[in-house]
Amino acid sequence: MPKRTIPSNERPERAQILRITLILIAAYLPLGGYLAVQISAFVGLLFAIRLASLRWPAVLPGTLPLAALTLIGVANAAVTYQGWSGQNAGTALFVSMLVLKLMELRRKSDIRLVATLIGFLVVVEFLFDQSPWLVLYLGAVVVWGIALLVDLNGGLEEPRRRGAVKVAVTLALQALPLTLILFLLFPRLSAPLWNLGVDPSKATTGISDSLEPGAISELVLDGELAFRARFEGAPPAADQLYWRGPVLWETDGRRWSRGEGIANSGTAGTLLEAGRSIDYEVTLEPTDQRWLFALDMPNSVPDGAFISSDHQLIARQAVSAVKRYRVTSALDYRTAAPDPARLAAGLQVPEDVTPRMRRLVDEWRNRSETDWALVQSGLQFFNRESFHYTLMPPSLGANPTDEFLFETRRGFCEHYASSFAVLMRMAEIPSRIVLGYLGGELNRVGGYHMVWQSDAHAWVEVLIDGRGWVRVDPTAAVDPSRVDNSGASRMLGAGPSVRFTLEQADAIARFVRNLRLFADSLDAAWQDWILGFSVENQLALLERLRLGELREYGLVALMLAALGLTLGVLVLASIRERKPFDPLQAEYARFCGHLAKIGLARVPNEGPMSYARRVVAQRPDLAPTIERFMDLYIPARYGPDDPRDVLMALSDLLRDFRPRSASRMRDLLRRSR
Amino acid sequence: MTNFLSRHGMNSSASLAERVLVAARAVILGKDRELRLALACLMARGHLLIEDVPGVGKTTLAHLLARLLGLEYARIQFTSDLLPADVIGVSVYDRAAESFRFHPGPVFSQVVLADEINRATPKAQSALLEAMEERQVTVEGETRPLPEPFFVIATQNPLFQVGTFPLPESQLDRFLMRIRLGYPAAEQEKALLAGEDRRSMIARQQPALTGEQLTALQQQVVAVHAAPAIIEYVHAILALTRSSERFLHGLSPRAGLGILRAAKAWALLEERDYVIPEDIQAILPSCVVHRLAASEYGGRLDEDAVMSEILDRVALA
Repeated sequence: MPKRTIPSNERPERAQILRITLILIAAYLPLGGYLAVQISAFVGLLFAIRLASLRWPAVLPGTLPLAALTLIGVANAAVTYQGWSGQNAGTALFVSMLVLKLMELRRKSDIRLVATLIGFLVVVEFLFDQSPWLVLYLGAVVVWGIALLVDLNGGLEEPRRRGAVKVAVTLALQALPLTLILFLLFPRLSAPLWNLGVDPSKATTGISDSLEPGAISELVLDGELAFRARFEGAPPAADQLYWRGPVLWETDGRRWSRGEGIANSGTAGTLLEAGRSIDYEVTLEPTDQRWLFALDMPNSVPDGAFISSDHQLIARQAVSAVKRYRVTSALDYRTAAPDPARLAAGLQVPEDVTPRMRRLVDEWRNRSETDWALVQSGLQFFNRESFHYTLMPPSLGANPTDEFLFETRRGFCEHYASSFAVLMRMAEIPSRIVLGYLGGELNRVGGYHMVWQSDAHAWVEVLIDGRGWVRVDPTAAVDPSRVDNSGASRMLGAGPSVRFTLEQADAIARFVRNLRLFADSLDAAWQDWILGFSVENQLALLERLRLGELREYGLVALMLAALGLTLGVLVLASIRERKPFDPLQAEYARFCGHLAKIGLARVPNEGPMSYARRVVAQRPDLAPTIERFMDLYIPARYGPDDPRDVLMALSDLLRDFRPRSASRMRDLLRRSR
Repeated sequence: MTNFLSRHGMNSSASLAERVLVAARAVILGKDRELRLALACLMARGHLLIEDVPGVGKTTLAHLLARLLGLEYARIQFTSDLLPADVIGVSVYDRAAESFRFHPGPVFSQVVLADEINRATPKAQSALLEAMEERQVTVEGETRPLPEPFFVIATQNPLFQVGTFPLPESQLDRFLMRIRLGYPAAEQEKALLAGEDRRSMIARQQPALTGEQLTALQQQVVAVHAAPAIIEYVHAILALTRSSERFLHGLSPRAGLGILRAAKAWALLEERDYVIPEDIQAILPSCVVHRLAASEYGGRLDEDAVMSEILDRVALA
């Protein structure tokens, strides 16, 4: 088979091959965290071959090995993801094939193709992650790719690379207003395009619906954000920030769970009295669970959610993406008494109750006239006895509650809440455990609270006659002097977080903290204004611009008009940069244009006189007109006198100046003979 | 010249200059372009540097120009042991007057022929080069003006020759033009060999201009018109040399002024009272190449490459 030769100006330079490889590597890097290791290994191998081939061209695979590599790539993606469907499998296949293209960059057009496909790769990557940092990073990659395309198209002045980057940045900046218009005005679908149920879960586990030793201490060391909350008006005091999550009823002495058939059943929990209500908006990170968090006690129901009988806010669908909802909570409240079935569940006691636990409760009962007084006795017990708060409690044996209460006396919220609830139930006071978060860090930059996984907490609710369910936090009863802060960088898992937070006095720590707050507020703004920009936001914006009538086609028309206007402004601005119009120069350009048509174009750096001389030397028949033109033009353009009088004469001269090419002249002569 | 361009009443001055050229052509054969450049340089009140291998007629040209312009001249042969005092002059104690009396050196002449200027040490070179720019000399605290007009015509050997001290760029910048003579063509060389001794020919030459005529010529050069398009063109050239990666540094504003002045003189020689782009292109190589240095260490600039780089990349509208 004869090999077609490639013209030298179509052959890519080594530096261009190196650059497209580096750009593709840079574009692939963020995907590495989402795709399986096998895919990254295959792609990495191809990158290595391409880079090595710049030094040793022999390593580049020929046609047959390339075909084999292609098959391996297809098989690799198919085996890894067991088929072709789904976002991961499709992306893996696309990336594998795209990187394979690097093996055959024979022409500049091959590089152009890869550079263009990198644009598609960038779009695909946003299916995996939409953080502002990724946008910045991939934006830089795209500009780099455009610079390479500019370089490939040639025509750049030295220094070439800097020139190409300059052009690319200019193009990107010019595209910015167009992007903004498309973002604001492009007609939106109500549901995201890619909500096909195939995207991998990005949810962090967070709080689960059961409590056992170690469940929360794990979370306390977790640095992830659980949710953000923005209060309307002043936020409540820090010791009011109990963010309510799952409510646990059933215990076996070691593990607490919601209890079969108890949770989510029955009617919505209602508040008999509600005072001091507070409005706020929560932006919940995905949990893959159905519960939503609200301050004690939620008094309104956001869309797509309901309130369970134990006052828990529950979404109708699992939270698999960032979810934003508005709630109103009552800080002072009185709940209704539960139905008898629940009352029984609230009194269920594990089997491993020991005599000394019984003695302790009996003693409290004898001392106290009312249930509430008994609760206070319990709290005093935790406060007076040598209970320690620590994140690293000693491990507990067969009967954890007993062991904790009388022997180790070291633990954190889950120990305190669990043992306290058991003791209360033994005293015939219905109790339940509530899981959730306590406190939150005020982000002064963004003006909202950040609640971290490390703020996870567990507390107890007891049923008191006439008051309904009352929140009791036994962990907070521990004497502050017995709080052990070592072993965890942030101690927000127990008690009011403010109380236990180490004062970070030194400047660097404060700076780092502020930096973190700033980064998070940027993230939140991104969430609010970019990712959360929905159909409703779009319509609200149009309303505000008094363009509310526009829907669908009207919106498209508005978008096109805005795009046209922006493009027009950009074009006008670029024209304006040119030099002012010189009529004399225009006539000269016309003159040169006529001559260019007959193959006597002016060289860009040729002066008028040398040009005239050259043309006359080649076409003596044109000499009279050219001499007359130059006689007028040169002094007018370069001489000291006003050129205005000459302009007319020049355009008169040019009106009849239609030079014919030499070959055409010969044809005409022959014919006339 | 062109047969189709009307001339603009410059006949008297043009013929004056033409007279110098005709006389010069009789002595220096076949170097019409170099003679015109040298004359344009002097008409633009610029100093001239002639660079070439020994024996191609550098000194003869310098002598001849001084003679034809009717100027008083002195010649300094630069050697490695030349002292600044040999150039400027010394004060000698006068017994009769009981005071020091200044004996002016050769620099106090209208035309100074500085022969083989790069054979002298930098110290001696700078004595002359300072006088070139200031047109005055300060000796022992007293400032003495140099005669008017004042030209330095220096010759130098190519830098790669043994025993030379290259002039620094800052001093090269003071020469408006640097020209090269090159070997004569076969025909002219034969005529030279067969002809009369050049030295005696020069001695016989009568001045072609009077002092007033030279001054008038110089004033006419200043009056030549440079249109905005020409200014733009010169500026584009300067800007290009500054942004190009090939050069260590770009052309100075002084170089830009020099280019324009030289182009005006050239336009006058072409019997025009305005500059056209071709004038710039004609004088550009001799005005520019000696002021530029290659950006890479130890690199040398090829004259033709520099010119094509500059001329090709600055487009004319």
